[in-house]
Amino acid sequence: MPYSQIFKNHFENPRNGGELKGADVVAEETNPVCGDRLRLALKINEGTIEAARFLAYGCPPVLVCGSALTELIQGKTTEEALLVTRKQLVAAVGGLPLRKQHAAALAIETLRSAIENKKSGGKPTFPT
Amino acid sequence: MPENRRVYLDHSATTPADPRVVAAMLPYLTEKFGNASSVHGFGQEARAAVDRARREVATLIGARANEVVFVSGGTEANNLAIRGVCEAAEAHGRHIITSAIEHSSLRGICEALEKRGWEVTRLPVYENGIVKVEDVQEALRPDTVLVSVMLANNEIGTIQPIEEIGSLVRSERQKSPRNIWFHTDAVQAAGRMELNVETLGCDLLSLSAHKLYAPKGAGALYVRRGVRLAPQNLGGHQERERRAGTEGVPGIVAFGEAAKLARQEMDQRAAHEVRLRNVFEKGVNERVDDIVFNGDPAGRLPHVSNISFRFIEGEGLLISLDLQGIAVSTGSACSSGTLEPSPVVIALGRNDELARGAIRFSFGKDNTEADVDYVLELLPRVVEKLRQLSPLNKLRKLEPVSVE
Repeated sequence: MPYSQIFKNHFENPRNGGELKGADVVAEETNPVCGDRLRLALKINEGTIEAARFLAYGCPPVLVCGSALTELIQGKTTEEALLVTRKQLVAAVGGLPLRKQHAAALAIETLRSAIENKKSGGKPTFPT
Repeated sequence: MPENRRVYLDHSATTPADPRVVAAMLPYLTEKFGNASSVHGFGQEARAAVDRARREVATLIGARANEVVFVSGGTEANNLAIRGVCEAAEAHGRHIITSAIEHSSLRGICEALEKRGWEVTRLPVYENGIVKVEDVQEALRPDTVLVSVMLANNEIGTIQPIEEIGSLVRSERQKSPRNIWFHTDAVQAAGRMELNVETLGCDLLSLSAHKLYAPKGAGALYVRRGVRLAPQNLGGHQERERRAGTEGVPGIVAFGEAAKLARQEMDQRAAHEVRLRNVFEKGVNERVDDIVFNGDPAGRLPHVSNISFRFIEGEGLLISLDLQGIAVSTGSACSSGTLEPSPVVIALGRNDELARGAIRFSFGKDNTEADVDYVLELLPRVVEKLRQLSPLNKLRKLEPVSVE
């Protein structure tokens, strides 16, 4: 299937790409099979995600999912963010071919890992 | 710069049909529509056109017309060559020698033969992407019935030592008369370098029309007189019993015309492509850091440039360029969470990151210097943008690139 307009828009104009100065938590997850890599940095204030930034290495869906994920979670509490599903993320990027669904799974995994890290004392998995 | 500019740099994938080729072919879709096997005048008209095309294709490779079998394309030519020879020679041995960088069709055929008990030796290529003749010599066994090494690689363009391998196989056959044949896949090389089956010493050679500015759907297999080949399409007398099925006359006529033009214009096309490629590679080298050129700089086809861009992934670069109207290709595929990095770039000894970041730019006769300028203007920006978003970017300038 060809990529959607929403997908292309995220790919051409990624939202919230880059490092985040003063991040409370940073998580970087890789897909060990294909080597895709997503890094997510969050600024969390009283349980609310105030800012999110991502970096991505991998095929375009990884980058697009990173971009869409930051938009989905900014302003949400960490509890609310944990409820974001892979399906919702796929919908937010305008759909993904079956063989590219793993990109959304990686994004959700990275988000959960970041929030879990925050809960367990906020120690970043990677230095910012 | 017009917004909707399109630059096609994927001529190794396919080429547009040349208007002269289309003009030659059109009458065979309409008023000269006969079946080349029919006895009446309509049929004879079509037969004559197929024969003319056969002579043109034969001339392009220095063969006799009756040694050319028309098929549907390069993949079928490879299937007929390998499976046809193996089936016919099975009683003499079940060992094949090939290279690690063959086209996917060759890889697929060899894997299928392995499942049926054949043994396949895949010759390594070295950092330059070229097979060593000594390795062929070493791999030869009494039960080897076929050696198949491509003439030039489809991803990095490297030209293989076919003449040397050809004479090796020939002397092997003379030492002890037996069934051992030499096939070469010349799909990428044809029309881009001088080809002569006598000089090359090959017994079978695959060609595809659509890489030569003809439409998709036609190809040819050269089969040297005396080679035993089991047909893979049965049920008709066409192509001297070697490939049953009504000839695709329009496609064959187009192929013949394209072969003629390729022969006549080869030198000027190659010179044009090399000139553009040199400007391109020099420009990329000046404007983008952390890159690695893949393939032998001198021993490759005139139109191919393969470059690995560190810290980013080829598919992202491909789509970014596509959104700017620039068509290129990548040999890697990321699918269902498994990555198949380009086997060709991996065979050069490159790591996964370099294999994933490899892009093929392949020039054609109709590309212009303005095309190259456009790509040189956009490529560095697109690469930089993706690198800024890459978590690997922090490695930049920290580690030296360990190759070349």
